[in-house]
Amino acid sequence: MQAFYGVGIVLLSGLALAFAAGIIIGEATDRWYFGGALVGALLITYSFIILLLRKMGVIGPRKAER
Amino acid sequence: MSTVTADSSRYGRFMTGLLRITLRLDTFIHTLYPTDFNPLYYTGGLSNLFLFILVLSGIFLFFYYEASLAAAFESVRYISDEVPYGGIIRGVHRYAADGFIVAILLHLFRNWFTDRHLFSRDNPWISGMFLLLFGGLIGFTGYQLVWDERAQVLTTMFLAMLRSIPLAGDGLAKIFMGGVGIGEGTLVRILFLHIVPASTLYVMLWWHYLRLRHPKVWPPGVWVLLVVGLVFLLAGVIPATSGQPATPAARPTSFPMDVFFMVPFWLLNWLSPGAVVVLGVLLFVGGLAVPYFSRRETAPQMGVRHAGVAQVIDGNCTGCELCYFDCPYNAIVMVPSPGPGLSKAAANRTLLAVILESRCVECGICIGACPFEALELPKFMERDVRIEIAQAVQA
Repeated sequence: MQAFYGVGIVLLSGLALAFAAGIIIGEATDRWYFGGALVGALLITYSFIILLLRKMGVIGPRKAER
Repeated sequence: MSTVTADSSRYGRFMTGLLRITLRLDTFIHTLYPTDFNPLYYTGGLSNLFLFILVLSGIFLFFYYEASLAAAFESVRYISDEVPYGGIIRGVHRYAADGFIVAILLHLFRNWFTDRHLFSRDNPWISGMFLLLFGGLIGFTGYQLVWDERAQVLTTMFLAMLRSIPLAGDGLAKIFMGGVGIGEGTLVRILFLHIVPASTLYVMLWWHYLRLRHPKVWPPGVWVLLVVGLVFLLAGVIPATSGQPATPAARPTSFPMDVFFMVPFWLLNWLSPGAVVVLGVLLFVGGLAVPYFSRRETAPQMGVRHAGVAQVIDGNCTGCELCYFDCPYNAIVMVPSPGPGLSKAAANRTLLAVILESRCVECGICIGACPFEALELPKFMERDVRIEIAQAVQA
């Protein structure tokens, strides 16, 4: 399962990189709705990366909750 | 004082059913998310997050908005089409408003179904009803500010509702319009009714948290990212749009519906304005009365054990204050210890925990907080937990 989460994080990181590139393209071409939507997509991707990191046990729970 | 009548009526059984469904939903969510990421534990925090997004995006929009009949529609168009990322921020404001209402309703239903509106928790319930009312008013006035055909129809309908109020109706309508008819002062008033109630929401939040020691005011980072991301994504993919500009000669008969803010106006298809006002007042007053007229089953009727008010085991208490800080209901106070405890850890204590029985809701949080086994729910002892676990393992 850890490997599955690891692969997921790598794929999501790649996706996040693509979204970041899209934001730059949107900004360069004044396509504000495109760029804004990709900001949202990027943040959502980050949230799933954090979720997978949490499921892997890399982050959280807080020490007191262990 | 809050009262709860315990009976096994059909309503009581229905509420128990809703409680069980809510808890099963939690169990299902825990298969997807770790327990500390369960969004249903943070519906209040999510509402706060949406409100924070609304305030920030609202400040941005306020810089460009012009509150006059002639310029309002054009200023909104300018924000959407000319200001860099203005359309995105407008969309963020629009979708965060919907999210705010959804989060509040989830918060309301969850706390209702899990009995978290009873006894000492009636204060958050009452203040929450006012937060919902003000949230609805703010959202509705937000639609008016665009001043398109929809805003014009909404304003006409709202004035009809105001005028249906006996005695004060005409006066209220005049105050709302800033004269005998819709004029230059009207949009300034609507902008005032949009911003000032929004600011008072934070005062109401203070009221909302008054009796809670550790309110979860903010969701975990994973949900902050997801929610902010979602409103930006929606704002980019489905931009917020205006209809045709409002004109005095236009008599539009239909407009796009928003289920979160326009239900009262939708009801005008079948009911008179006065009936809609009466219905709204009845719903609000009924909502305020919910904590005082709840009919719940007793623990034996529900087939669960009654835990009883928490008790301190004097000899074990070390005065560490962990339970005091963890109790969400201020039901534990620390007093100077009259003497040393019996256990080694409690030998040098200076404080002793005392339970305020009128505030204890028997949640058991203090039991988990205490590392010294100095607290117990007298009708639900550790041995009972062990027996139940053993039975569950055998089953």
